[in-house]
Amino acid sequence: MNKIPSVGIYFHYENNGYSNGLNKQKIEKYSDQIPGVRYIGNSHDLPPIDKNIFIEKLKGSRVSKLLIAGYDPGMVKPFFTRIMSESGLDPTNITLCNFRDYGIMGRADEQMAESLIYCAVMTVNPDEIINKVVKQKNQDTLVIGGGIAGIQASLEIANSNHKVSLLERTGTIGGHMAMFDKTFPTLDCAACILTPKMVDVGLHPNIDLMTYSEVKEVTGGPGNYKVKILKKARRVDLKTCIGCGICSEKCPAKASSEFDAGTTLRKAIYIPFPQAVPNKYLIDEKSCIYVTKGKCGVCAKVCPANAVRLDEQDQEIEITVGNIVVATGFKTFDAGKVANFGYGTFPNVLTSLELERLVNAAGPTGGNITQRTKDKKGNWIFTEEGAEPESVAIIHCVGSRDVNNHQYCSRVCCMYSLKLAHLVSEKLPDARITEYYIDIRAFGKGYEEFYERIKQEGIEMIRGRTAKIEERNGKLHLRSEDIINNKLIESEVDMVILAVGLEPREDAQSLAKMLGIDTNKDGWFEEANYLTDPTSTHSGGITIAGVCQGPKDIPDTVAQASAAACSVIQNLITKKNKTLDKTVLISLVEEYVNKLSEITEDQI
Amino acid sequence: MNNRVNPGFKKELQKFGMSEQWNECFHCGNCTAICPLSENEVLFPRKGIRVIQMGLKDKLASYVEPWMCYYCGECSETCPRDANPGELMMTLRRYLTSVYDWTGMSRKFYTSKWWELSYILFFALLVIVLFLIYLPLRPDAYLMVNESGGVMLNHLVAGISGDQFIRIIEFGDWAMAIIVAFILVSNILNMFYKIILSNKSFKVPFYAYFTEFWRLIYNFVTQSKFSKCDDKNYWVGHMLLMTGYTTMFILVVVALPAFQTEKVVDWYNWQRLLGYYATFGILFFLTVVTIGRIRKKDIKLQYSHSTDWLFIIMLGLTTITGIVLHIFRLAGLPAATYYMYILHLAILVPMIMVEVPFSKWSHLAYRPFAIYFSRLKQVALSKQYSTGLAPAI
Ligand SMILES: Cc1cc2nc3c(=O)[nH]c(=O)nc-3n(C[C@H](O)[C@H](O)[C@H](O)COP(=O)(O)OP(=O)(O)OC[C@H]3O[C@@H](n4cnc5c(N)ncnc54)[C@H](O)[C@@H]3O)c2cc1C
Ligand code: SF4
Ligand code: SF4
Ligand code: SF4
Ligand code: SF4
Repeated sequence: MNKIPSVGIYFHYENNGYSNGLNKQKIEKYSDQIPGVRYIGNSHDLPPIDKNIFIEKLKGSRVSKLLIAGYDPGMVKPFFTRIMSESGLDPTNITLCNFRDYGIMGRADEQMAESLIYCAVMTVNPDEIINKVVKQKNQDTLVIGGGIAGIQASLEIANSNHKVSLLERTGTIGGHMAMFDKTFPTLDCAACILTPKMVDVGLHPNIDLMTYSEVKEVTGGPGNYKVKILKKARRVDLKTCIGCGICSEKCPAKASSEFDAGTTLRKAIYIPFPQAVPNKYLIDEKSCIYVTKGKCGVCAKVCPANAVRLDEQDQEIEITVGNIVVATGFKTFDAGKVANFGYGTFPNVLTSLELERLVNAAGPTGGNITQRTKDKKGNWIFTEEGAEPESVAIIHCVGSRDVNNHQYCSRVCCMYSLKLAHLVSEKLPDARITEYYIDIRAFGKGYEEFYERIKQEGIEMIRGRTAKIEERNGKLHLRSEDIINNKLIESEVDMVILAVGLEPREDAQSLAKMLGIDTNKDGWFEEANYLTDPTSTHSGGITIAGVCQGPKDIPDTVAQASAAACSVIQNLITKKNKTLDKTVLISLVEEYVNKLSEITEDQI
Repeated sequence: MNNRVNPGFKKELQKFGMSEQWNECFHCGNCTAICPLSENEVLFPRKGIRVIQMGLKDKLASYVEPWMCYYCGECSETCPRDANPGELMMTLRRYLTSVYDWTGMSRKFYTSKWWELSYILFFALLVIVLFLIYLPLRPDAYLMVNESGGVMLNHLVAGISGDQFIRIIEFGDWAMAIIVAFILVSNILNMFYKIILSNKSFKVPFYAYFTEFWRLIYNFVTQSKFSKCDDKNYWVGHMLLMTGYTTMFILVVVALPAFQTEKVVDWYNWQRLLGYYATFGILFFLTVVTIGRIRKKDIKLQYSHSTDWLFIIMLGLTTITGIVLHIFRLAGLPAATYYMYILHLAILVPMIMVEVPFSKWSHLAYRPFAIYFSRLKQVALSKQYSTGLAPAI
């Protein structure tokens, strides 16, 4: 039986905009009506704080304890300690209630603030109470995004004997990593690492893989999220399709291949790449003639397994999960935005992602690095027969470290540029390869050594950002300052590679809103604490992993995905949330606390 | 040369223009590469930033590159750090003007509005007082209208003939021209000393002084470097101002008797046509720049130093009073013409005394000389470094 002491409450706010969205009056009004609580003031009402006002207020009241709530209340604790003793009260009887510890910043967090205050007044541990109120009910997990991050997290959770639903927007899992030939710094074959993991996901009894699907709506709370999922029509039955590919051979319609970063075409009925998981075909309704114009149907006729369902419709399903891992990755910066580089105008100015496909043996040119050539219809295309470039320039920091685009460093482009330089020189030993950089950021284990190795291989490194690319007589003309050698460089090359940075997906904002998580100013998902809790968010039960949280390479992505899985498993085992849920209902908290300590007015 | 690092130097530079925005620079080299005027051996603007960041004050005094920049603004637009290197070059031109000026006036004007204003006021009052005392309006001035109705400008003063009046004004013109030229020429010599003589790291071969001389003339006349900027309109505007101003200068100093004629000559006569051209050129430039400086859309006009505004105001007032003077003359209003004439001179004289030796107009002379000097330096260096490897920075 707790006896309610008479509590004075003071609110300490800051002026840096962190909590602008919070309705402070509402919280103050709420705390004032808690039995036994006396409102003393807040830092907005009384700047500068006048000692005597407080002493008077405290002396005349029956307050025996002081609660300081708000942001970093510890800052004003010494002041109030003095006031307490000058008012003849016990100066040690001060409780702090720091909103910042719980990420309270906006309108949605008011109930959380109120819960904290209520628990503090009742001298019970808020973490415990709130976790009791929002129980971990559901033991299943949803992973959004099937890149290396999503794959890793799914496998970790599934291997701990918990059910996982893995949601992927495209027709296959794998994400960006599946597009690469080799990975830095070890130059391991990307497919050799990724494919077994993808197959594991496809076969795992605990993983329910949903490709070609998207999240439509998320409701409920931690431990009990209701997720509406839109399963887009693949128009090919997953169970019966045997992956023979006859349909694709006969299909008359073509569209640009997403997997090959637009360097070649694919059919309207297609498999993203030969190792895709699931290894089944699907129809792209934007390019299919049957869907757009109502005639054709060739694929359905030739399919030996009768798997084509041309009239299949999108479907909506709802699942319930306890935890969600967000691993939606990134998209590359649109190089066309840097007008001076002429991407999109000059056929042989490519992005790094396009080059990744060119060097890949399974790519559009069978791994031959060739220049774009004009076909009969006048389109610029890549073919195996195209001329090999004699000189290649790689330009760093395209779209990154630039106030006109993204101010942040994309972290992987220095290293992948070195990797690409190596891969090109391996295939074209006579080509002159030059990298134009601002700084080389080789920050990881073995990375600086990798950089040294690439330099040894004869790749020319020039410190100086290229300012402009022009086309003269079919050659690309670059202008840069060579800062180390103190001269201007005007060079002519056959091919230019733009090391484009990473940026958040187009739907990152809307997804964040749907999930109730925050994004930072650049649009990356915001973690609970960058230093100590980089995978949790302020929404209990929702964790983030991979590049969607901020640019990182594959080793870091995988590490973070495992860490996110660990948080989830911790939640599942302890049946409570590692991070508290902010969307708690204050009425439930009150009810729960009151049950703990039945208090009556006259006890006060 | 004393190349001591002086971290406090940037504070000093701040008085000449923008804030420390240039300190954002992370030396990517974009600005040097995008600059249409930067070339090997004359690399800018990035290296200038390096020099300032290191506080190499003496090195900066011998730095000619800012004069090569015609402020097209491309570097500032594409700078990934928003360091505004173009504006820094502008700031450096102001600073260097004060470095070359041994009288110290330039420095005073750039660092204190009040100094400049008092100086201007002094000359304005001097002109007005001299006129009112020594060249007063004749009582029967209303008679001084010729048969076509125009005012006979040279006959408005009591006690002297038209010829005498012209000679007095001409005398004033030449006196002013000589003072101004003296300061300017000595400043250019000082500049020569700072850039070429004091720099012991190279020696200019004697023949180069002559072989490179044509560049000086050529660049002065055509401002050809300017046309390299992608923004051709800017070159046109600048050309209009330059030629307009020079025409006016020749008309009122060298050819005064032919310009300030007894009668108002018919409009198709060369004096009037040239005068109109000059007025149009200056007005056009002024309008464009004023609108630009107020709107602040164009990156090169976003930062306006107090001297920039003063220059625009002075030039504008001179032009307007000149036009009004012309109208009064045509309209046959002798007294009004007389007073407008004084007002016109009371603005024109201080403007010339400030701008030509100490401020904006001196750039007109420093620029071609800087190109000349930098060519000398290039010739000298090309003898010394076969690989083009000059010391870093
Ligand atoms: C050109 C280039 C070369 C690189 N080379 C290397 C290298 O050699 N070594 C290295 O370590 N790193 C390299 N990287 C970095 C590497 O790509 C990333 O670290 C890694 O791919 C991140 O994986 P991810 O799972 O976080 O994101 P992604 O690979 O982007 O995967 C995200 C997945 O989520 C899916 N998705 C997105 N949104 C949704 C949604 N709303 N609903 C459902 N699904 C969704 C996507 O379809 C995708 O499959 C390179 C990057 C680039 C651009
Ligand atoms: S129906 Fe569509 S997918 Fe099938 S063959 Fe025709 S165009 Fe291709
Ligand atoms: S990783 Fe390298 S290339 Fe990429 S943004 Fe950073 S510095 Fe530039
Ligand atoms: S472009 Fe900007 S950041 Fe780059 S060197 Fe020039 S001033 Fe510095
Ligand atoms: S403003 Fe134009 S001319 Fe001046 S340094 Fe910049 S790019 Fe060169």
